[in-house]
Amino acid sequence: MSDKTINISDVVNLPLDLKEQKKALEQKSSAVVEGKVKVYDPNKDNVKNLLEMLKNKLSRQTVSSLVGCVHCGMCSDSCHYALARPHDPTMTPAYKADQIRQIFKRYIDWTGRIFPWWVHAKTPKNDEDLNRLKNIVFGTCSGCRRCTLNCPMGVDTAVLVRLTRGLLTELGIVPEGVFVVDKDSWETGNQMGVSQEDYIETLEWQEEEVQAELDDPSFKISIDKEDCDFMYTVNPREIKYDPRSIGYACKIFHMAGESWTMPSFGWDQTNFGLFSGDDKLGGYIAKNLYEAAKRLRAKRIVISECGHGYRSSRWEGYNWAKYKQDIPSESVLITLIRYINQGRIKVDPSRNPLPITYHDSCNLARSGDLTEEPRWILERICTDFREMYPNRSDNFCCTGGGGALSMVEYKPLRMEVAKIKADQLKATGAKLVCTSCHNCVDGLSDLIKHYKLDMQVVQILDLVAEALVIPEKDKEK
Amino acid sequence: MSEFLRILEDEVQIVALAFMATVYTIRLIWMFRFKAGKEITSPVGSPRVGAAYSMMNVAMPWAMESARKNLSFYVQFVIFHLGVLVAITATLILPYWPEFFEAEPIVRIFQLFMGAAFAVGLIRLIRRITSPVMRLISTPDDYFSVALLTAWFAAGVFAMPNQYEVSEWPLILFFGMTTLFLIYVPFSKISHYLYYPFTRYFLGKTMGHRGVFPRKKGGEKPAGLE
Ligand code: HEM
Ligand code: SF4
Ligand code: SF4
Repeated sequence: MSDKTINISDVVNLPLDLKEQKKALEQKSSAVVEGKVKVYDPNKDNVKNLLEMLKNKLSRQTVSSLVGCVHCGMCSDSCHYALARPHDPTMTPAYKADQIRQIFKRYIDWTGRIFPWWVHAKTPKNDEDLNRLKNIVFGTCSGCRRCTLNCPMGVDTAVLVRLTRGLLTELGIVPEGVFVVDKDSWETGNQMGVSQEDYIETLEWQEEEVQAELDDPSFKISIDKEDCDFMYTVNPREIKYDPRSIGYACKIFHMAGESWTMPSFGWDQTNFGLFSGDDKLGGYIAKNLYEAAKRLRAKRIVISECGHGYRSSRWEGYNWAKYKQDIPSESVLITLIRYINQGRIKVDPSRNPLPITYHDSCNLARSGDLTEEPRWILERICTDFREMYPNRSDNFCCTGGGGALSMVEYKPLRMEVAKIKADQLKATGAKLVCTSCHNCVDGLSDLIKHYKLDMQVVQILDLVAEALVIPEKDKEK
Repeated sequence: MSEFLRILEDEVQIVALAFMATVYTIRLIWMFRFKAGKEITSPVGSPRVGAAYSMMNVAMPWAMESARKNLSFYVQFVIFHLGVLVAITATLILPYWPEFFEAEPIVRIFQLFMGAAFAVGLIRLIRRITSPVMRLISTPDDYFSVALLTAWFAAGVFAMPNQYEVSEWPLILFFGMTTLFLIYVPFSKISHYLYYPFTRYFLGKTMGHRGVFPRKKGGEKPAGLE
């Protein structure tokens, strides 16, 4: 752990890295060739294009947030970046939103077009300015929406940051990581570029694991089965780095006597379009999921543990895809509550005796509706649950939100501002921090390592699987 | 009362108000020409309840950490805006019902509100100038708006006794500033009161639909228990 504070100009002036874009061009990446992912072209008038796109992308909601700020500064105490760097006024949410607000004022609003200096209206001069804008909106904001809920005027700064990210994505002026994940999402239908073969193999492997554990060869993870009660969708991180979580979930579904399936395509419930601001990508990924459920005539879509995945698949995705919701969708937390409440599974809290606290994912608590659900479950599956303060929709970001984990160049700053979360975690005295988001697992793990906290990260499914009473097996014991 | 002051208090104010109303109408038409974002998901909560909760936000300091943890700022906000309300009321009463200000307690109450708002305005102006965060986000419009209002409150304190027979200058100053203010407001950040219902409605509607507003404090029934 170091107390060194980052010089913000080092972050804001980070150059536009084009290695991955060049590689994709050389390899004739289909997403690039088909124009789904944009690469940076220095010969284009990028500033002009940005202005034109801004005009077309504005909605009544975003305009109201652009004109509504009174520059009162009340949001500055709500942002973990600003709180961790009190010496650095550029961390103030209003300052970040002003980066696009000043362009809006100069190009679209009234006063700024006539007297720009009076309201600090200005347009970027060149691509270097656009690159600086990129570093501010991608590097200094995790889109956590804490400032939004603390603005007396109801200005949605996080939405303005996302709007700006979307414009820059259209110009290829993005961090390398964002470019790569966008490209992978378009090309493979999931954000980690998992091949269908790997996906199926992982499910088969988990099937065998659970069969062995339950000593029950009839246990199946069925793929593309029609007319099930629900279709289960997961985060590609589960396939790549945490396949156990799929095994846990499916074991619980099996114990509950559930009829469920997983689709062979359209299984990624996460959505990088939320982070890159690309509504087209967002709509494409979400639509894959909705159509898979329709194709399989599933009665419900169940979304595994993931904050931004839940927000994207349950809420934003339908709007991006302009897809009228025809099949109900829910978080796996609600499915678990149903099982426990109806006695379809039995849990023994004494199997999770360590002190546990809960971290509310921003997307679940501030952009979704899930705050009481995880707590209801935790109260039944562990013996020493401790609240973290502040919590629920006042909770601080894990610092890995907004796609931050894919943008390594901003990690030093991210770790510096993670102090706020680290202090919050430490104060609980808990040994385990539970969250219901794969992204938060990585964000929290990074900061736990950085700040050398004596703590481990778990998810609700891990704890439910641990507490699960399996009659046959327990009898043997 | 001189004819100049009478016209300034009456016709000039009406023209300035009409100007403001016209610009605002155009402004709202302009805003509504942007497409509306639509929520096409099945709801968890009520958009209407969310919107109402959101619009009431200004009167619920406990609902927002930024106000809860910074109550003195909230109190300043209330005093400042009560001053606005009282001063605007005064500009509407003075020309048409001058007898109202013959009662000294009334004059004193109006002066008290405007005096307090003046003090808050000064604090806010100093904060804007001295705090690095505020300086970074402030534009000339921000400084001018708060300075204009602060000066207007001071003018209001002196104008309140409505003693034009002693001197017309305090009233000329107050109504002169009101005119300037009415014409300037639609082009400045002071228009926030026009936007407030919209920003808060849009945010509240979405958040209500998704079950985030009214914000949960703990103890609410979780989904899945049906
Ligand atoms: C529906 C009515 C109104 C609402 C909801 C409202 C709301 C707010 C809020 C939330 C702030 C930010 C907090 C603060 O700085 O204290 C603010 C600031 C301000 N308001 Fe209002 N306001 C309203 C009406 C007005 C009116 C009518 C005026 C003037 C004619 C006015 C002038 C100002 C000024 C100048 C500031 C900035 C203060 C500063 O620079 O520190 N407001 N208002
Ligand atoms: S975003 Fe909201 S809280 Fe922040 S300065 Fe603007 S009006 Fe104030
Ligand atoms: S969304 Fe979160 S990280 Fe971004 S400015 Fe607001 S509070 Fe800070």
